[in-house]
Amino acid sequence: MMTTNTLGLYLHVPFCAAKCRYCDFHSAPAGAELRVAYVTALCRHIAFMAKRAEGYTVDTLYIGGGTPTLLGAKPLVGILDTVRKHYRVAADAEITVECNPVTNAAGLFEGLRAAGVNRLSIGLQSAIDAELSLLGRAHTRTDFERTLAAARAAGFDNISADIMLGIPDQTRESLGETLDFLLGADLSHISAYCLRVEEGTPFFRMRDTLALPTDDTVADMQEQAAAILKKAGYTHYEVSNYARAGRESRHNLRYWKCAPYLGFGPAAHSYFEGVRFAAPRHTAGYIDAVTAGDFDRLVIDAAVITPHEAREEYVMLGMRLFAGVDEQEFAARFGAAFTDIYGTIDHYVAAGLLTRENGRIAFTERGMLVSNAILSEWLDFGEDT
Amino acid sequence: MAISKKQAHIRNFSIIAHIDHGKSTLADRLLEATQTVTAREMEEQLLDNMELERERGITIKARAVRLSYTASDGEVYDLNLIDTPGHVDFNYEVSRSLNACEGALLVVDATQGIEAQTLANAYLAVDAGLEILPVVNKIDLPSADIDGARREIEDVIGIPAMDCPAVSAKMGTNIEEVLERIVTDIPAPSGDESAPLKALIFDSYYDSYLGVVVYVRVVDGQLKSGDTIRMMSTGQTFQVVDVGVMDAFGLAKRASLSAGEVGYLTASIKSVGDTRVGDTVTLADNPAEEPLPGFKAVQPMVYAGIYPADGSRYGDLRDALEKLRLNDAALTFEPETSIALGFGYRCGFLGLLHMEIIEERLEREFNLDLITTAPSVIYEITKRDGEVLRIDNPTNYPDPAEIEAAYEPVVRASIITPTEYVGGLMDLCQDRRGEFVDMKYLDSTRVELHYKLPLNEIIYDFFDALKSRSRGYASLDYELEGYVQSKLVKLDFLLNGEQVDALSFIVHEEKAYGRARRIAEKLKDNIPRQLFEIPIQAAIGSKIIARETVKAMRKDVLAKCYAAILPVRRSCWKSRRRVKRRCAS
Repeated sequence: MMTTNTLGLYLHVPFCAAKCRYCDFHSAPAGAELRVAYVTALCRHIAFMAKRAEGYTVDTLYIGGGTPTLLGAKPLVGILDTVRKHYRVAADAEITVECNPVTNAAGLFEGLRAAGVNRLSIGLQSAIDAELSLLGRAHTRTDFERTLAAARAAGFDNISADIMLGIPDQTRESLGETLDFLLGADLSHISAYCLRVEEGTPFFRMRDTLALPTDDTVADMQEQAAAILKKAGYTHYEVSNYARAGRESRHNLRYWKCAPYLGFGPAAHSYFEGVRFAAPRHTAGYIDAVTAGDFDRLVIDAAVITPHEAREEYVMLGMRLFAGVDEQEFAARFGAAFTDIYGTIDHYVAAGLLTRENGRIAFTERGMLVSNAILSEWLDFGEDT
Repeated sequence: MAISKKQAHIRNFSIIAHIDHGKSTLADRLLEATQTVTAREMEEQLLDNMELERERGITIKARAVRLSYTASDGEVYDLNLIDTPGHVDFNYEVSRSLNACEGALLVVDATQGIEAQTLANAYLAVDAGLEILPVVNKIDLPSADIDGARREIEDVIGIPAMDCPAVSAKMGTNIEEVLERIVTDIPAPSGDESAPLKALIFDSYYDSYLGVVVYVRVVDGQLKSGDTIRMMSTGQTFQVVDVGVMDAFGLAKRASLSAGEVGYLTASIKSVGDTRVGDTVTLADNPAEEPLPGFKAVQPMVYAGIYPADGSRYGDLRDALEKLRLNDAALTFEPETSIALGFGYRCGFLGLLHMEIIEERLEREFNLDLITTAPSVIYEITKRDGEVLRIDNPTNYPDPAEIEAAYEPVVRASIITPTEYVGGLMDLCQDRRGEFVDMKYLDSTRVELHYKLPLNEIIYDFFDALKSRSRGYASLDYELEGYVQSKLVKLDFLLNGEQVDALSFIVHEEKAYGRARRIAEKLKDNIPRQLFEIPIQAAIGSKIIARETVKAMRKDVLAKCYAAILPVRRSCWKSRRRVKRRCAS
């Protein structure tokens, strides 16, 4: 149960074999020494925060990156042991590890499975090798197939793959091929993200030479992905996420339902007891602070969420889910009806952008694609209006 | 009547030329050669001293300067150089400046030959009875054809040119010869110093200390400080504070100005509107019987709505326009309200160039962001009840059912072009509802075309089309011929079913469909997509003649939203709200 005193933990591993051309996450290649020092620091930090989390039961745990599996099975198992030693972890907790299709050293998946990891998220991005090399990914479609087989052989049955829409040179045909490939792989969960060219990435510098699909084409691709995956029995439960029944990412649902979570590692964010905060985006600095026992340095940008902001976040995040917002629950939580606060939604319903059924307000597929435009009519995040 | 000794030593002249043929450079060399200014003191092209004029390489306002020249006969002459504006929009000002002179230097580029403005200006000078002294310029360029240019001047304009000075204003070659010929070829003025005062106003500008400074050519009589003068077109009187002459650095006071001289007067005049170019100044207590001929009150030919992009700057726009009008009697404006654009001004201009100059000055000198509606000419409408309307704003166009007849202004256009472009330019004129008048071969390679063209076709990117169809070689000049009856309609645009008043314009019936389609397409490409699709309709009355659709926005979504992105998201949202609010206000 997520309702009372449950907690999610996010553990960041800021290392990767090589930086992908589109990636703006906090991650970089690193030597063995730094990796060992980092794991030690991370474990100390986890132990230190345990006092704060007394009374909470951890029911989702997510190790992301970077490429966490670069660390190898043993350190990852060590981190999990630290968590179990200091926190109460529910027996049925969802424990996810991110991995990529090349770091599948022998025994890795067996080790993780034995340590209680029950979900894998594999960065496929595309089943077209030419698109993979353009993205700067170090793997091929065959690598993915091998990794998937190894994971299944180790006993994993809850496996997610990420793909990208709007890759330079991608077409509806090539996306169709990637989707066919995914259906053949019979995964329990699929994330389909639109590529964003972020400032500071190699793609940003190359942007004038990249044949990026237009917004309209990417919108077509999103509709294409939704249609094919839904037909194959997946539920489109969030903007970019699809799942077989009961296989939604419980950890990510925490973010969208404004449930508490603690983040560990550089640039990791937390939302805990009404406060949002983050750790500085610097790996060596993180290690230094933990080594010095100066944990205060690991809390920056702390913000107490006001009731008004909480309401706006609830709408902004909740509406990302195709289940939408429950009107009764909204009214109970914020003391006023949704439409009293945000005005009539009839024109959006009439235009097929929103539905209002069974006491819930939710985006349609088409409405979700333009959700920012509609949300910006509603939300002000405490700006005077 | 004997010419006084004083007048015998005065020469009043202008320099006329097609744009870029070197008028301003020649003026600079004359100033240097007479040591009016030394080369070192010289700001490049001293006479064109407005920043905009220098950028565009044209003269917008007339200027005048006095040069003192010791000729080869040993005598000292006062040479008054009166610069003229170099664009068809300012033809009337050109003609008044020329009337202040006895002669004109006609500068012709030895590599280009005669162009449309060369001819137009030469005809103006001939009309004003001036002695024309051709000067072939740019002889330093390898492609210069001096004899060809001379022959063309003789053949086309019909004035002797075979012995005319051939110069390079840029290099300073043969400038002395030009000065000598000014003295020998251009007649001295021959006014009557004892007759009642007649002085021609050829320019004026506002100075915040002196009031309006009026540039005059004294034709007859005398003018001195303390005189009470009368403007003959309005009857207004003023007391003269100062008179004097213009040297290269500004105003130089003199005790008096007499017949034949060019100079200035100040008389605590508040507005250039009181000192109309072409008007005659006389003395209140001893007035001339008749004013000098040729005075016309300048009339705007082109109108457009000018609105501040930021509605709160309406007051700033008004102040800026008032300041510009201090120096520009041809600029008119009155308040106008648009449902779409808010509060602004309906402004009248002499032509498109005048309009562009005013827009640029408003934006540059007053830091305003402007929205300008499509320019319109003045249409004359006779209603069924006999009332005659002059319409400069499409919004005021009457209901078609009330219209008996509609009239639009036409111009007589002269286009000079290399022969290979004649076909394309004739197609262009045809397409713009032109009526062919005649075609003249200037020589074996160049043709002068005459067309009657509706002015509203000329203000719709005609000049750009002319240049692109002739690869920049054709030149254009035109003058207003009058009004002709025409089948006009008012074209409206509707966004989402609502008429946008600022987009309406008046157009000839035959042109309405094409223009409606083009503008609807442009709107489709330029209006940002919204959540819902927006129909764009072009309509004449209630009849829809073109239709486009701004498609609904397809994609505006944040694909990835996890813990790390939330604070970033929130601040994005706030700035998004701020932008939205700014756009809405």
